[in-house]
Amino acid sequence: MDGAPAGLPVIDVDAVRRVLEEYAERGWTDGLPVMPVTESYLAEFLEQTSRGPDEVLLSMPHLNRACTVRVAAINAAMAGCRPEYFPVVLAAWSALEAEGYVTRGIWQSTTGTAPMLLVNGPIREQLGLNSKGNVFGSGFRANATIGRAIRLTAINAFGLRPRELDQATQGNPAKYTACIAENEEESPWPPFHVEHGFDASESTVTAMTMRSVVHIEARHTTVPEQLGRDLADTVRRTGALIHETISACIALGPEHASLFAGAGWTKDDVRRFVYEHAVNSREALAAVGKDAVSGKTRWRLSSEHPDATADTAAEQGSGNVVSVLNSEQAVQIVVAGAQNAGVSAVIETFGPRGGPPATATVESASA
Amino acid sequence: MLERAGVPTVSICTDAFVVPARAMADVYGAPEFEFVTIPHPIASLSPPQIEANVRPVITEVVRILAGG
Repeated sequence: MDGAPAGLPVIDVDAVRRVLEEYAERGWTDGLPVMPVTESYLAEFLEQTSRGPDEVLLSMPHLNRACTVRVAAINAAMAGCRPEYFPVVLAAWSALEAEGYVTRGIWQSTTGTAPMLLVNGPIREQLGLNSKGNVFGSGFRANATIGRAIRLTAINAFGLRPRELDQATQGNPAKYTACIAENEEESPWPPFHVEHGFDASESTVTAMTMRSVVHIEARHTTVPEQLGRDLADTVRRTGALIHETISACIALGPEHASLFAGAGWTKDDVRRFVYEHAVNSREALAAVGKDAVSGKTRWRLSSEHPDATADTAAEQGSGNVVSVLNSEQAVQIVVAGAQNAGVSAVIETFGPRGGPPATATVESASA
Repeated sequence: MLERAGVPTVSICTDAFVVPARAMADVYGAPEFEFVTIPHPIASLSPPQIEANVRPVITEVVRILAGG
């Protein structure tokens, strides 16, 4: 065939392939192909922010490494972001820094956590961020590439390559990308960011350090207490316990959120119910060898272990009931997913067990 | 870092962590940093099992501490 079909640009496919292979050979990818970045393409990203390209976004002193706005932009472009997504990526870095675990080496841990980003506000609609059907799944460029921008930066700016500085035993699928938006339109409650003091007209990114997303089936019930116990039962599972307590973000499907709200429950009511019911008996903990804590690390272990000492619940004389949450604030609640089934999820987080979430505002386009 | 502050130091890790330990040494500009390794795991062993794993490396620990 001579030439390209009329109306299509002429490109040298071999040249594109050579560029992609070059990026892969240099170890600049997460295993998937990345978008090649030129200075002119990079400039389009940098135009999206008032922050200077050399401004440091986040430092990891223990690695002697830092990430600048410019490096974050390069990786966002490589991840496949459109330039207008970049303010969300920048807000994600601010939220990750505020969250605090990242700068203390959590991305190197054997636990294998991934950053989970939650987006609120008008930017969701502007960028086409998915908050509804398949919210944790694939198919939406903004979600896919904003989350991936963080991973590529972890690899390329901080050198956190698997089996090297990243010692994850198994990791989890969210290490490719994990960015959801809240389904504010189908939530019966104020949006997550409004609940935490932001204006509804602001856009925000909240960062969490997640270990897993646990699916909950509860299509059968219209009784809020039954649904609440199903959620609490998932939150309390003993397999989640390495420390004395845990934290969680419950992503309620709109149907479940409506069930609670229809019964007159506020978000705080759900939070309180889960807090009160996310408990294990002393026997259940003993059965898995987690009925005490190490006197050195405070990690859970058997009361028969030579380092064992009483856990906080025992010290406080709580009898046979051992809570996995240290406060109601250790449970965050968002609404996400489609209004089509009684399905929710518990995002198991490694993070603040109480206190406010790590949320940052997205710089507006007019800045 | 302790070594640079003048405190003789030896790092002991299990063989499962040799590669990341080496990567961290590179980050700190000390690619020649010497480690003592013991078999993995640690967390699930009894004190006598840990002692059995540590005994064979004690002379190596002393050698590194002494700057040998």
